[in-house]
Amino acid sequence: MVDEISFSLVSILVIMGISLAFAIGANDETLSALVGAGVIKFRIALIVGGIATAFGMILFSQNVGKTVGEDILGSGVKYTDFMLLAVLISSIIWLIIGSLAGIPLSSTHSTVGSIFGVLIVYALSQGGINLESALNYDKLLEVVLGWFFSPALGLLVTFIIFKIVAKFYLSRLRGLNQIEKAEKNFNWLLLVTVIFAEIWVGANSAECIGIFYGIYSSNFITIEQYWISVIICGIFVFLGIFFAGRFVIRNLASHMTNARPSEGVILQSSSALILMIATFLGLPISHSHVIVFCIIGLNLSQKKEIDKKGILKMGLYWVLTFPVAAILAGLLYWIFIFFGLS
Amino acid sequence: MIQLKAYDKEKLDKLSIDDLTHTFMDIIKEQTSVLIDGIESLIDENFKEVNNKLNYVIQTKTEVKIKKRFESKIFKSKLMFSKADRLKIFSKINDIKNIGEFLANKMLLYKIIFPDKEFKIHLKEIIISLRNISDDISYAVKSIGTDLIKAHDICEKIKEERRKMRKQEFDLLKRLWAYDMDYLSRTFLYIKELIEGIMMLADHIKDFAEYIQFLSTKYLIFD
Repeated sequence: MVDEISFSLVSILVIMGISLAFAIGANDETLSALVGAGVIKFRIALIVGGIATAFGMILFSQNVGKTVGEDILGSGVKYTDFMLLAVLISSIIWLIIGSLAGIPLSSTHSTVGSIFGVLIVYALSQGGINLESALNYDKLLEVVLGWFFSPALGLLVTFIIFKIVAKFYLSRLRGLNQIEKAEKNFNWLLLVTVIFAEIWVGANSAECIGIFYGIYSSNFITIEQYWISVIICGIFVFLGIFFAGRFVIRNLASHMTNARPSEGVILQSSSALILMIATFLGLPISHSHVIVFCIIGLNLSQKKEIDKKGILKMGLYWVLTFPVAAILAGLLYWIFIFFGLS
Repeated sequence: MIQLKAYDKEKLDKLSIDDLTHTFMDIIKEQTSVLIDGIESLIDENFKEVNNKLNYVIQTKTEVKIKKRFESKIFKSKLMFSKADRLKIFSKINDIKNIGEFLANKMLLYKIIFPDKEFKIHLKEIIISLRNISDDISYAVKSIGTDLIKAHDICEKIKEERRKMRKQEFDLLKRLWAYDMDYLSRTFLYIKELIEGIMMLADHIKDFAEYIQFLSTKYLIFD
């Protein structure tokens, strides 16, 4: 009976994980700059972007997945299926709240916060494990520092790249025809950088791959099943972009037809670079946070006005994400324990 | 009378979006120039010339061909992040013609004899400024493609000239109101509407100049 429950739960977790991959694709707005610039046909852009994200997720997400699924846990601590269920449910609830508030919340922060919450409750409720050994605090600190450094680095890199490109190229363009011609060349670079960015967006999708790594490292599935799940996630992230992401992308792209492809290239290459470094370091970071700070960096470099109120509001939600997700997940897991489902 | 060049379809097809804009600007500038000639003839009370010139402005539709060609070309064009701005530039040029045509129609309503020579001299001064800003906006439009800084500077000149015109306009209106005329007299109304019509055209050119300056700010990047 217990095995049956466990099998059903793992099946639910796998389905939820795959759905998360679909949701990641559905919410991915990276392609909008490319579609807005009209470089390639919309359908082709969706296919190319979807393949790149799937490719990144399948080939490069292991480091980040391992951090979330294993390294962040204390020595000898393993996930239970109810822990993972609590993590997934609380992440989803918090993300829905964020969507209703119109704030782009980080699913990565939400997932790691939820993991923190369930592990604290786990340590408090289980004998033999204390708060100090429930989590790998060094790894957690690395992850949290990554959340602060990655947007700051995104801002700085974008600022510097723009200054260099402006000094040696953009500021030398005098007429609209010349600017137009230069921007046409940037269009093709934009295609390359967006593909590059999509690869690392897929690769840093910790909330999805981390769950599967957790299921695997807790011996609910075998390594073969883990890889099959990762490939299925890759396929679903592609399907998410192709079938659901198109609406977000088309909507954002319609506002970006006047945007300069050169700025798109700088933004996408900066954020992709940060995501790539973080992925190789095994740090799950928020793509949306990085891109927002890259935009701030771009505006600062052009001495444009910055919406300080908007940033403060966003910052508040970002800071709240970790503790709220932790409390929510902890509470859920405590309810599970209360009913004997630990 | 000035004869405009004929623009056949084949010739127009070969022109780029930028060339079409310049050609359109040339035609509108030419028509505005004829309109201003018409106002000058009116001041000189040469009504035959006034009729010829203003009717020419009203009846000439050469620009329609170019407008249609431009619209179809820009609609189909790809990879243009400045598409919306180019469309707006074109529509602002077109508005010069619309306002000019409106003014020409109004001017043909009545044959006016101006109150005195002094008034005519002042009105001619405004006309000279109008001709200057009309020529300048054409140079500014043609500079957009090659040198936005130059376009920006020309527009600054236009704004300065328009400020001068505004002062001249009030001087003229003051003079007009000081005449011992019945306030409902056709002469009074005609002159008032003529001055307002000229200033409407000048205001549009000034707005257009400000738009070009906005474009310069938008597109130019300084290190």
